[in-house]
Amino acid sequence: MLLALAQAQSASDPVETVRIQAMAIDLPVRLNTAWALFQGLLLEALPFLLIGVLIASLARWLSPGGAWLRRLPAHPIGGPLSGAALGFALPACECGNVPVARRLLVGGAPVGTALGFLFAAPVLNPIVIASTWAAFPDQPWLLLARPLGAVLVALALALLLRLLPEAELLRADLLEERRLNQPLASVSLLERRSGVIGLPADTPLAAPALGPADSEASSWREVLRHGSREFLNLALLLVAGCALAALVQAFLPRQWLLAVGGAPTLSILALMALSLVLSVCSSVDAFLALGFAGQITPGALLAFLLLGPVIDIKLVGLLGLLFKPRGLLLTTAGAGLAVLLIGQWINLWRL
Amino acid sequence: MGRPLLLRAALWRALALALWAVVLLQSGLDGRLDLLLRSIFHPLVSAAGVVLLALAVLQVLVALQGGRGGGRAPAESRREQRRDTGLSLVTATIAVALIVRPPNPSFADLASQRPGDDTTSDTLSFVLPPAQRSLTDWVRLLRSQPDPQLYAGDPVRISGFVLPVPGEPPQLARLLVRCCLADATPVGLPVRWTAGQPLPKADQWLAIEGRMAVERSRGADRGGERVGHRGGDEGSEQLVVVPERIKPIPRPARPLEP
Repeated sequence: MLLALAQAQSASDPVETVRIQAMAIDLPVRLNTAWALFQGLLLEALPFLLIGVLIASLARWLSPGGAWLRRLPAHPIGGPLSGAALGFALPACECGNVPVARRLLVGGAPVGTALGFLFAAPVLNPIVIASTWAAFPDQPWLLLARPLGAVLVALALALLLRLLPEAELLRADLLEERRLNQPLASVSLLERRSGVIGLPADTPLAAPALGPADSEASSWREVLRHGSREFLNLALLLVAGCALAALVQAFLPRQWLLAVGGAPTLSILALMALSLVLSVCSSVDAFLALGFAGQITPGALLAFLLLGPVIDIKLVGLLGLLFKPRGLLLTTAGAGLAVLLIGQWINLWRL
Repeated sequence: MGRPLLLRAALWRALALALWAVVLLQSGLDGRLDLLLRSIFHPLVSAAGVVLLALAVLQVLVALQGGRGGGRAPAESRREQRRDTGLSLVTATIAVALIVRPPNPSFADLASQRPGDDTTSDTLSFVLPPAQRSLTDWVRLLRSQPDPQLYAGDPVRISGFVLPVPGEPPQLARLLVRCCLADATPVGLPVRWTAGQPLPKADQWLAIEGRMAVERSRGADRGGERVGHRGGDEGSEQLVVVPERIKPIPRPARPLEP
């Protein structure tokens, strides 16, 4: 009856044998499994990464600029909110976002609005919401909590960074370009290095001020070059992120994950640290969270999905294009605190 | 002042993009996606492969024209170009590794790291006749109607892989995925393996025909997944598959179930 069943070595107590087999880690087998997990994550995430890069390239091509930037609201709360809403118009993950936010700042948009865009748009856009839904079709609350949490974090950061004067927050070269685009009336004579005195406030100054970067932007080749390089750059980060996620999944003893993942505060902190290290794009981070989702508290899951888009190791380099170290430090601390609070609150609600 | 073709960064970018396109397209063709991803995502992966291939072709055109029409990339310094080429080569190498080394996961090993699936399914809209129910159908049915006595004597024809369970005989199991292998969770049915025969090896795929029977389980608390299981601390009743024919089969082309 039992045809060609593979043999278990010890016939004396088969149950015991199987038990031991189940507990022991067979290294080659486990490595094969990790390799498959890695490929699964990567293949799932790459299309979303590509979509994100394509859209960021498109936004670069049709690069925003001009006087309308200066008319964006400067209200301390309305500004960041309208900036966050821009995320729907310019959907890009956080890596595509930093250059766009820089362009906003250089173009003379209010700081609060640009910050709102910078911090909320990576989550508040259709691609990210679609990938979150694709990863967690069984957790509809996440579809609401993630964008909402991102807006809260962006708002908190925008309000926090207002405390620093522009000159201490933004990099000197960015400020210099920015002043060229601000109405002269709003810039004191001492701050000015160039500009034409006596121009009406609305004169479009964008073309000369944005410099070589923008005269190139219209060339499709430049967009192609930039887009391909961005894709390969981010694909490399994604590969590293997927590899780390697959190794953690395959090799971290499940008891550890369960012990850490079950503790409300500890799980949030652990997943925040993980999102800092993994540094993957917001358009694909939901897939990486999948592997842990079963073993962690819901607040920790949300914290992972909220913190990564705002700050991580990869973004430190990119945000360095905008902020001085002090601004960067404040961003990191503020984002960490805000995300921790939101995670705790979610745990109170969901657990 | 055209640079030699091989020194143009665009060419290497094209190579890297093309290799990634091959990774995506090939995984759709060689059945890799069936093993790794839920089927609704397969078209997305293939479409991304086509787009990447198109981008690679465009990059080749740019590289071929690179010498002429100059003035295009004065900003692209030599050092930047070298860095670019390095990036292209590294990513290309990874892509090659993915192409030459297909995944070969051990489902039993994967399942041993995971908690059992406990989602109640809403896809079970009607109940199939017993002999047509898949392993997953059985598990879901038992979850919605957990009384084992209801099914005693029903004919069973299921297939799955052998999943060792700590402290118990191995179960016949399947992996459920919502997205990709990373979130796969196992569902399994206990099987009364023929006494005196060696137990099947983990990961072996089997097709089993037999009948359902009710069995008193061994009492001890084992935690974890227990379906079709009723009763208190001691002598609870459990549904087991009593095989009449067991046939080893190769891993099916689409081993994952939604």
